[in-house]
Amino acid sequence: MTEHPLVEMIDIEKHFGGVRAVEHVSLDLWPGEVVGVLGHNGAGKSCLMRILSGAMIPNGGEIRVGGQPVQFTEPNDARAVGIETIYQTLALADHLDAPKNLFLGRELKTRFGNLDDARMLEEAREVLARLNPNFKNLRDPVSSLSGGQRQVIAIARAIYFDTKILIMDEPTAALGPSETAMVADLIRQLRAEGIGIFLVSHDMHDVFDLCDRVVVMNKGRIVGAHAIEEVSKDDVLSLIVKGELPADWSARNLEAAQ
Amino acid sequence: MSDASKPAGFYTLKTLTPGAAQLHKLSALLTLLLLVFGFALASPAFLSVNNTLTVLLQTSVIGLLGIGMTMVIITGGIDLSVGSVLALSGVITGMSVKVGLPVVPAMTLGVIAGGLCGAFNGFVITRLRIPPFVATLGMMLIARGIALQLTGAAPISQLGEAFGVLGNGALFRVVEMRENGFPRVVFPGIPYPAILLLIVAIGAAYLLRRRQIGRHIYATGSNEEAARLSGVRVDSAKLYAYVMSGALAGLAGNVLMSRLVTAQPSEGVMYELDAIAAAVIGGASLSGGVGGVSGTMIGAFIIGILRNGLNMAGVSAFIQQIVIGFVVIGAVWIDQIRNRP
Repeated sequence: MTEHPLVEMIDIEKHFGGVRAVEHVSLDLWPGEVVGVLGHNGAGKSCLMRILSGAMIPNGGEIRVGGQPVQFTEPNDARAVGIETIYQTLALADHLDAPKNLFLGRELKTRFGNLDDARMLEEAREVLARLNPNFKNLRDPVSSLSGGQRQVIAIARAIYFDTKILIMDEPTAALGPSETAMVADLIRQLRAEGIGIFLVSHDMHDVFDLCDRVVVMNKGRIVGAHAIEEVSKDDVLSLIVKGELPADWSARNLEAAQ
Repeated sequence: MSDASKPAGFYTLKTLTPGAAQLHKLSALLTLLLLVFGFALASPAFLSVNNTLTVLLQTSVIGLLGIGMTMVIITGGIDLSVGSVLALSGVITGMSVKVGLPVVPAMTLGVIAGGLCGAFNGFVITRLRIPPFVATLGMMLIARGIALQLTGAAPISQLGEAFGVLGNGALFRVVEMRENGFPRVVFPGIPYPAILLLIVAIGAAYLLRRRQIGRHIYATGSNEEAARLSGVRVDSAKLYAYVMSGALAGLAGNVLMSRLVTAQPSEGVMYELDAIAAAVIGGASLSGGVGGVSGTMIGAFIIGILRNGLNMAGVSAFIQQIVIGFVVIGAVWIDQIRNRP
């Protein structure tokens, strides 16, 4: 067991004018762990994840990666320490093809500093084939690809580089059943490799299928953090909707423990 | 379907079929050839060596402005200040020559002044978050105002022979002296402005296609938020594009003023529209992410040849404006059709 968690977020705060989006939130993630982050729209979960991915700067609190305090002022800072994010919008540049998107912001270059498009194409072909053997449209602009193919590019981009922490924001929301199963397999495989994953999802089935822990946010605060065995779907729903566990939860849990 | 029964044939066909962008460029090239053909029929002097060189000269200014404009348009912006920046740069060069600076440093100063105007545009757009249309509209007035104020609205003339070389000189010019003492031009040569345009076009195409900054310019215009989240410094990419546009406007200003051997503070009014037209006719999309130097070159030649050919055919300058206005609308309309799902 590692000494430190992969990442610790300590007492994170973020407000927009008078609106408190994230209030005194502390959260950690260990190697090979999948943590589900749940909550209503506007509960603060996306905001918290954007802070961790460097896309948003918090007003207070500290982030530690491998025990070391870090400051993220732009997404590249987070990526530099191995935090990759798959955004719900996928964050793809529509007019560019798959290899150009995969390496966007981290382009491979030749000795003379020119773009090495031939090598990027080869690398992209390889990593995309691993995720989806049918992926052939490597030279088409990604706007012409299907939702599943676009998702594959976004995933490939997040795992191609030396990833330690993966944030997945609604990774299966736009996918069909077979593609969803592919993503689920991938999450299990990454967990086995020791990567820590934050899974932001609305899909209760996915959460209970894949997560080791669930963290529920409500009005900018964490209202519950539980190992997945401790809670039922109804318990989690109650946390999401009411911000608290059902009254009979602790009694039931004691019973189950005995 | 025959496609299904012959998969191999289908794929060959698919790889041979040009994409939408190539199709647009192809149609622009076809338009260009039709124009040349039509004007050649209308006026026999149109295809003469001398007139061809005149077209090259006229087009080089539109082309230089168009290349900078293309970079800006790819980022999803627009630069309305290039006509005024062109004038200001020419005036700065002219004044520097007047105070005794040699021509080359003076012209360098003019180009730097253009680049600074572009940097100011970029600063206002990325830091103050002013929309490009408004920011560069402001610069359009500012640069023109400075040029007029510096010169008291009077042209600066008597700049010396060396000042006129860039705009009027030519490579491989062959002149022989006749017995009566008058020179005879055997071959008028390739005008320096045309050579300059070729060098700048190749350089800009290289930047856009083979360098990281070019890739980031495309990504910024394609989806700014995605580019930002992918670690692209979108503000730097935009700043770069506006500085290039300003500096190239400065270069175009030097070419133009050198050709007139006079620094004219009122020169270049509405040139931004020719530059935008060249980029759009060449396939650049005003919503960003699409465009290229080769297309813009075709667009610049279409505008240049239209103007020249209509002149040669004796069409008035007013009618020319009407024609070019319709051509621009037509080009954008074709762009709309091809992007319709």
